[in-house]
Amino acid sequence: MASQLSFTAFAWKNLWRRRLRTLLTLGGIGMAIGAFVGLVGFSRSFEHAWLMMYESSGTTMDVVQQSFLNTSVDQSDGARLRALPQVELAAPMILNLLSLSSDVNALSYGWKADSYEFQSLHILAGRRFRDGQPEVMLGDLLAQSLHKSPGDTIEIEGSPFTVVGVYHGESALEAGAVILPLDQMQKLGSLQGKVTAFHLRLKPPPPGVPEDRYLAQVSAEIEKMFPRLRAIPAAQRASNNQLVQLSHAAAWGTSLIALLIGILGIANTMAMSVFERTREIGILRALGWKQWRVMLLIQLEAATLGLAGGLLGMAIGFLALRVLALLPQTATVVSTSIPVALLAEALGIALLAGLVAGALPAWRGAQLSPVEALRHE
Amino acid sequence: MSSPILEVRDLHKSYDEGRIEALRGVDLLIEPGDYVAISGPSGSGKSTLLQLLGGLDEPTRGQVLFQGAPLGRGAALDSYRSRQIGFIFQAFYLLPTLRAVENVQVAMLAVPGAANHRAQRAQTLLEEMGLAHRMNQFPNQLSAGERQRVAIARALANDPAILLADEPTGNLDSVNSAHVMEILTGIQKQRGMTLIVVTHAQEIACCAPRHIRIRDGRIEP
Repeated sequence: MASQLSFTAFAWKNLWRRRLRTLLTLGGIGMAIGAFVGLVGFSRSFEHAWLMMYESSGTTMDVVQQSFLNTSVDQSDGARLRALPQVELAAPMILNLLSLSSDVNALSYGWKADSYEFQSLHILAGRRFRDGQPEVMLGDLLAQSLHKSPGDTIEIEGSPFTVVGVYHGESALEAGAVILPLDQMQKLGSLQGKVTAFHLRLKPPPPGVPEDRYLAQVSAEIEKMFPRLRAIPAAQRASNNQLVQLSHAAAWGTSLIALLIGILGIANTMAMSVFERTREIGILRALGWKQWRVMLLIQLEAATLGLAGGLLGMAIGFLALRVLALLPQTATVVSTSIPVALLAEALGIALLAGLVAGALPAWRGAQLSPVEALRHE
Repeated sequence: MSSPILEVRDLHKSYDEGRIEALRGVDLLIEPGDYVAISGPSGSGKSTLLQLLGGLDEPTRGQVLFQGAPLGRGAALDSYRSRQIGFIFQAFYLLPTLRAVENVQVAMLAVPGAANHRAQRAQTLLEEMGLAHRMNQFPNQLSAGERQRVAIARALANDPAILLADEPTGNLDSVNSAHVMEILTGIQKQRGMTLIVVTHAQEIACCAPRHIRIRDGRIEP
């Protein structure tokens, strides 16, 4: 039986004739897409973890200073916030990043022992801490990486604290964190009377008032009452806080550099391929192949490289996230589940990278005069 | 008398900004079904004439008319080459990564058509060339004579009106040369195709019913 030659099979044969070069190029674009999936996946996990943290505790609004991580909100403002008719619960809190051992830094929260936010945590061992005592509770992921359990002692900023409980939180930002009594956090940072934020759980909106409008109204009212503070709906806060934005920027910046290198790799491969095949392109043109068909062939080869590299990159990215999820330094904020949208985005970027990289070689190949190309040695 | 399939009027072709004149005013009429041999010394312009007849290149001045209409430019020339012209070259010009049967199909990818039809037609043509047992071989697994027969099958793939052969026996021994010319003339007679052969070989040129000699870019009277 005679083998059938389709246009796509022809493109594939052209790529496969230089197996090593094709595989190396695939490796290049695969690493670039892998970096994209890994880094952007990491930063989106981070954002998702923030949202989960708010959602699991039922926090609907965050009242903070204008600048993030600035622990300068007066704790006494809590009384006026609680007095607002729309506010069901208000919990003062401090957020910080503390060094717990030579290689583990953890998000650290200062909460009051009666904070409503404890409702979202499942205590796996031990008990809740008491205000005014040098006691801490560890998230299960953090307890695992520190090898600590209730009754053990850890040192924070030179002061000993007793681990009184280990909890599980829905969000990685809780499961990998340490929670101290608010007063102890204030003592550690000489921040008496100050907090980073008030987490608010609002009452449901009145009937007929849409959630968005309700949140905007409450926010405006709080900001009018406290001109130096910002009241931000939780979902918005999860995506626009500086830590998340920084992680997005770092992920995209690094990915773009990797993608640029990947694009250059494909462009180099396609340019060399077109040069080596000058006479063959001349043959195709002599046989009546139109310029657009020659361009399409070369672009199809480049797009195939991009797509195959994209698939490889998705696998590399997934593996990278798995590895990050195993490392104690990153395990607390990494989720190994990659959203389908991110995979589609990665594949789309890989395809686009192939097409961009193949455009110039394809155009040059199509411009070759058949006679000149046939003379090419 | 039928109208000419090809008509050449005052054809000029120069290269290198006019410093090299390959053709200096060629006029020619070729009837449908003609077998024409073109010979001449190296550099006389015979291959250039063949390229212009086949729409591989465009003249500097003058016109080539196919069935009374001037050859167009760009995409029109591509269509002319894919549908009306079958090229056979001295160096065969087969694609090294494709099997014989795939090389024949490459020409058919230039025009719309179903893949299974392409494969079937390529198989039939190779069988006609006596290559039924060699159709899945790559060019480097074929002898020179077999390669040229694959190239002939490829030239016939889109059922063209005209076969243009540029030194088709230039890389062949005498036995294979005779075989290839036998095939070409057989096709010309059997299908009533127009066959134009550029050759150095006098024994081929002299056998053609019409023999044109070119010297210094002009047809000798």
